Amino acid sequence: MNRRRLIALAWPVVPLLILVVLPFNGLGGFYLDLFYFTFTYAAMSVGWNIIGGYTGYISLANLGFFGLGSYIGGLMLTHLGWPVLLTAPLVGLICALAAAAVGWVALRTRGPSFVIVTLAFTFIVQFLALNLKDITGGSAGLYLPLLNMDPLLRGALFYYYMLGVLVLAIAVAIGIRRSRFGLGLIAIREDEGKAEGSGINTSLFKIVAFMISIWFAAVAGAVHAQYLDYVDPDLAFELIVMLNMIVMTLLGSRGTVWGPVLGAFILFPLQSYLVYWLPSTIAGEVHLALLGVVLVLVARFMPDGLLVTAQKLIARRPPPRWESAPAVAGEPPREGGAR
Amino acid sequence: MSSQLLEGLAPIAEATSRSLHVRGVDKSFGGVHALQDCTFDVAARKITALIGPNGSGKTTAFNCISGFYVPDKGTVMLGDRNISGWTPSRIVHQRVARTFQITRVFKRMSVLENMVVPARRTGLKAMFWDGIQGHERVRAERLLDFVGLSQFINDEAGHLSFGQQKLLELAASLMAEPQIMLLDEPSGGLNPLMIDRLAGYIRELNQIGVTFLIVEHNMGFVMRLSDEVVVLHRGSVISHGPPAQVRADPAVLEAYLGN
Repeated sequence: MNRRRLIALAWPVVPLLILVVLPFNGLGGFYLDLFYFTFTYAAMSVGWNIIGGYTGYISLANLGFFGLGSYIGGLMLTHLGWPVLLTAPLVGLICALAAAAVGWVALRTRGPSFVIVTLAFTFIVQFLALNLKDITGGSAGLYLPLLNMDPLLRGALFYYYMLGVLVLAIAVAIGIRRSRFGLGLIAIREDEGKAEGSGINTSLFKIVAFMISIWFAAVAGAVHAQYLDYVDPDLAFELIVMLNMIVMTLLGSRGTVWGPVLGAFILFPLQSYLVYWLPSTIAGEVHLALLGVVLVLVARFMPDGLLVTAQKLIARRPPPRWESAPAVAGEPPREGGAR
Repeated sequence: MSSQLLEGLAPIAEATSRSLHVRGVDKSFGGVHALQDCTFDVAARKITALIGPNGSGKTTAFNCISGFYVPDKGTVMLGDRNISGWTPSRIVHQRVARTFQITRVFKRMSVLENMVVPARRTGLKAMFWDGIQGHERVRAERLLDFVGLSQFINDEAGHLSFGQQKLLELAASLMAEPQIMLLDEPSGGLNPLMIDRLAGYIRELNQIGVTFLIVEHNMGFVMRLSDEVVVLHRGSVISHGPPAQVRADPAVLEAYLGN
């Protein structure tokens, strides 16, 4: 294994180790909270990227399943006494199965129609959460039994839990990107008809990608319900959660493994500091406006996102002098493909 | 070249070829009857051309055979199996591959990735675990070598010239180990030199057992290459037979030139 490949494989271990030891170095409640939210958004964005980035289907149903996950996790705790942090993977599985049914219908549409169908799903689930008062508590919400532990320890528990989910999300995203399944998803994004004509069962591939994507949204939703010890239709289906997922992915680079992580690690801390410094009367509006501005700027000036743009800039840079000689004697170095 | 090709395409030669039968197929779009009682056969291990004036229903017939359209009436039989209404991917897994009238490659994927997408391996392990395996890569390299594109294996497919993209599409469809290949206007937009190369590849593949159905407007290409010619006019077959016979058929002349 050459040095470059070793670095490519091993570099994530360094930031991971730093994040693992960080809480032992007196990380305060604010930072535990900040990292918890960053990990949550990063994991959800990586999950969203599987359907939105790899496959090219802009799903707004991830928010619906985030909220559904919150309610299912909360109801399992209040009715059955099952701890949310243990049942979250199961909640993810239940929502992923529901996503298969939703996807079976929704994924027959594409483009703007798919966006609208998935948004409609999210609104339907929110509507049900609001109106099935006997089950969900309606607009009053659902109060979850508190986790009886030291606040810092509690913060660290959620920190590590979501760090674990994020690591899993990245591992899954890497695995998919390297697999033939991932190649099939990208083929669907590039030309779905051609992909189908190449022998890819596009319906099945899209549904599986959607289920994997939803699993992460639902797990994050369930954990978040316990984090707040409360869930109501406004919090669980807050559009800004979805907007954040999309903007973070676009900013980092859609369709790449690390883009959504980068986007989340840049955008969420920035937002938090902004909200922290601004007067509370305008913080919410400015925060939303900022997201809109970032979305417009990325779409206009950097549609490939930070990571891909940086890769392109590096690739465009002239090679160092010792690399400029042709690899094979007599063969001119080629540029710009075969044209 | 031939022995290398045979080595690379061994699974095709081993396969038992099946013939294709289009029986009484109708297909309409609103008030337009693209196909009306369309019936013809594609004999195994032969090269059959499907010709006709513009709008005669050739590509519609292609789309009905390859699963992109569901016939309103009639059947498409692959051997003794009725495949009408099947999805395109299911038909590909029956070893029927196609290319498109307007060349379609995955432009932002590498040439190698374009080759691997149609590979035949299925199942959970193959899908989620294996990645691009050694023998698949070897096969892709051999096929790229066959069509003269091996030096571009890691380039983005969108960077290839139009003719090279046509050859890539042909090579990629061979990764599915097809018994039957449907080529939609393969010579369209190619220069005479490239057309000769393409004709050579088709002949070589046919010699190792691949059946071809070719939609084509280039009559020289069709007459030189085909064993059988099917002529469509206004959605129906008006002539069917060897090239010389079809060329002399008054109905064909009338369809192309008018009274």
